[in-house]
Amino acid sequence: MDGAVGKGSRLPDAVLVVVAALVALPFVPLVLWAFAGEWRFPDLLPTAWSLRGMGYLFEPGGGVPGAAFNSLIIGVATAAASVAVGLPAGMAIGGYEWRFKGVVIFFILLPILVPPLASTMGVHVTFIRLGLADTLPGVFLVHLVPTVPYTALILAGVFAERTGELEEAARTLGASAWQAFLRVTLPGVLPGVAVAGLFAFLISWGQYVLTLLIGGGNVVTLPMLLFSAASGNDPVITSALALAFAVPAVLALVLALRVLKPGGRADLIGPGKV
Amino acid sequence: MGGRVKIALLLAPAVGVIGVLFAGGLGAAFVQSLGYMPAIGMNEWSLDAYRQVLSDGDFLDSLALTLYVSGVSTGLSTVLAVLAALALRRSGGRVSAVVFQLPITIPHLVAAVGIALVVAQTGLGARLAAALGLIGEPGDFPALLYDRYSVGIILTYVWKEVPFIALVVLASLRGVASELEEVARTLGAGAWQRFWYVVFPVISPSVVAASLLVFAFTFGAFEVPYLLGKSYPTMLPVMAYDEYREIDLAARPGAMAINVLIALITGAVAALYLRLAGDLGRRRG
Amino acid sequence: MGARLELENVSHRYGGDAPALEDLSLAVEPGELVALLGPSGCGKTTALKIIAGLLRPSSGDVRVGGRSVVGTAPERREAAMVFQKPLLFPHMSVARNVGFGLRMRKAPRKESESKVHEALRRVRMEGFADRAPEELSGGQQQRVALARALVTDPRLLLLDEPFSALDASLREEMRGLVLRLQREGGHTTVFVTHDQEEAVVLADRIALVFDGRLQMYEEPEAFYDRPATREVARFFGATNFIEGRAGNGSVRTPLGNLRLASAAPPGDVTLTIRPEAVRLEAGENSFDALITSAAYLGTQVHYGLETSGKSLRVALPPHVRLAVGNEVTARLPAESLWALRA
Repeated sequence: MDGAVGKGSRLPDAVLVVVAALVALPFVPLVLWAFAGEWRFPDLLPTAWSLRGMGYLFEPGGGVPGAAFNSLIIGVATAAASVAVGLPAGMAIGGYEWRFKGVVIFFILLPILVPPLASTMGVHVTFIRLGLADTLPGVFLVHLVPTVPYTALILAGVFAERTGELEEAARTLGASAWQAFLRVTLPGVLPGVAVAGLFAFLISWGQYVLTLLIGGGNVVTLPMLLFSAASGNDPVITSALALAFAVPAVLALVLALRVLKPGGRADLIGPGKV
Repeated sequence: MGGRVKIALLLAPAVGVIGVLFAGGLGAAFVQSLGYMPAIGMNEWSLDAYRQVLSDGDFLDSLALTLYVSGVSTGLSTVLAVLAALALRRSGGRVSAVVFQLPITIPHLVAAVGIALVVAQTGLGARLAAALGLIGEPGDFPALLYDRYSVGIILTYVWKEVPFIALVVLASLRGVASELEEVARTLGAGAWQRFWYVVFPVISPSVVAASLLVFAFTFGAFEVPYLLGKSYPTMLPVMAYDEYREIDLAARPGAMAINVLIALITGAVAALYLRLAGDLGRRRG
Repeated sequence: MGARLELENVSHRYGGDAPALEDLSLAVEPGELVALLGPSGCGKTTALKIIAGLLRPSSGDVRVGGRSVVGTAPERREAAMVFQKPLLFPHMSVARNVGFGLRMRKAPRKESESKVHEALRRVRMEGFADRAPEELSGGQQQRVALARALVTDPRLLLLDEPFSALDASLREEMRGLVLRLQREGGHTTVFVTHDQEEAVVLADRIALVFDGRLQMYEEPEAFYDRPATREVARFFGATNFIEGRAGNGSVRTPLGNLRLASAAPPGDVTLTIRPEAVRLEAGENSFDALITSAAYLGTQVHYGLETSGKSLRVALPPHVRLAVGNEVTARLPAESLWALRA
């Protein structure tokens, strides 16, 4: 960095390559193992390939399709409900000024900051009494705890960027308050709603401990299968499951990056709530 | 419809969900930690569970381990993230965004499994070491899983959290910090002076805020230590879970007391974070 | 005292796009204040950043005090820059901000303190030394930024639209301040602006840039009296253009033969005259015209005139009121006509 600002050295590119390699590193054995037939210790690559892992994933009676279906159902329901609950809250926080706003934001943020282990064990007894424990609806309900804060805050950010001038213009052109909301506000916030929904889905999709506690082993989702496989001794099955678990998350990321500008609100998205 | 009523109605669903399921759950956990569980005939309020937990050597070992793992994971992640962000600040935003977003999206369990397959004694790392002639058999490779130093857990956290902190740092480096750096240059500041007097002080509040989030998260997270940790001592969330799973319901208040302590510690860190984040917001505004 | 600045054939292109700056050459004398004027996106900020060293030119040379500085890092050019935003360091007090450049040069502490104090006094911010930047108004912040740049006594002072974010009255006050400080300090100054009024008020000379190319580099009066091209004339508010052919000391036009006080190039030319220079009276270069429009602008009235199929615009003091449809006699004074090569 001696001369005037120059054409840039090669250093950043080299660092980017190293970082990308480190990011990719854990996927190398995952992918190799998922398709390995035989891979003994000192060998750097599998000596035989097989589709046993893939077969396990799609085996009709094998439990994986069912678990994936459970994960999907819970994820979609959680995303829909989180958006439905988070949208009005986001509108109140982002669109209006009122007293005690800071306190309410703090309250809504809490489940992101304080691990939900304690609260989930706390409600467990009540869930048992209400017949919600060990059921899909029960698991869906506890998945709302880590997701609602995200949808509410992402949507608050979306509403905060709206000035309300478009709605005012619509009102002067004869739209009622409700029509203005439906025809102007809602289409305007739709990309934000999509991102919030994707996020909620991702968080629900990645949940292990909440499902374990409230589902009690009766609600089997992909992470439950992955966990028991990982505690066992079959890297082929474990890797195949891990890929099946990770791929939808990556797809969701690609989708989200298309809708959301990268870098926006990275501070909220928090350390791996996934 | 009055303004205040409207706000209240808009907030009601979210506040209701969090109030019942989260705050209500925390409250119930607190009540149970005080030994009050009428359903199983415990009607006495007491601080016994806390007294017992806090004087228990197992708990103190777990606390020490948890502080160690969270502290080392947070410290390493922060240093690596700041270095990576500084090196990558001028390279293409799109590429680095994708590279950093990827680990954030990958579930912790998948990351833990992948890292385990790299660092295990028969893992990729050991195979490479064997290929280079450094080791002869798996046992020669250092044990990095279920080990004293929780290397596997820490590596998983570092892999997951470095990108998160790096994205936060990149955002503030590419924002006002780079403009301030130009000002400093025209005022005669050299590369080191610019970093020390301008860039570092400007980004440090957001770096600290992001680190606090990582610390709170790793302190209270369950999956990774449950999968990759050794059986004694365990990290606090795992200990709480094990106590909770005890057949003997008398262990319940103890489990809840551990939970409440975890919530208190992470809550305090979170409050610090929010204060910093609030200051940051005000300065930007 | 500031140093002489020379740009020689400086070009710059970002990536594969059209050049942001093409073949810019100009010299700024020691202590002179030059305005780089042009519409936004014309390359003037690029030029300023190249002078500061924050950008490296694709080709060409930049010399300060006769020495090429193209290979010199910005921090060693002694070219202090004030940006559009104040960009005060948020974690330092006002005094620490102003003293920044001195600390970077490891100036003795006592001396720094008195220089900082003096700089704050000169921008009339002496009571604010211990304040945090966020406590100041936008205008106050920009004054501190100015003090921060001046305190190191730079060889070049570079100003990038420093007042564009301020409101009109404050802007005027700041112009006065900059002018006074620049004269007192004798800094060689380059001032980027898109506001021709600002350029005229401040600058010793104006460098007008369109699309990365220098159009004209002269004293402010020349842009009104002797514009180099039709575009330059139009940018400075000229609206009357009359095509004609020069010969025998006058120019043949649809309005008749017009005499010019200045020499016209031979052949096809375009004559230009400012609306406020047109007279409604008989005499040399006069003709009859019809009033087709009138617009009251407060300090002036603008009339549209039409004659022989040509329209002209005339600006008159507001007390002269003429009705649309009236016939008048208009005169184009020879000393106010300027001929451009067509």
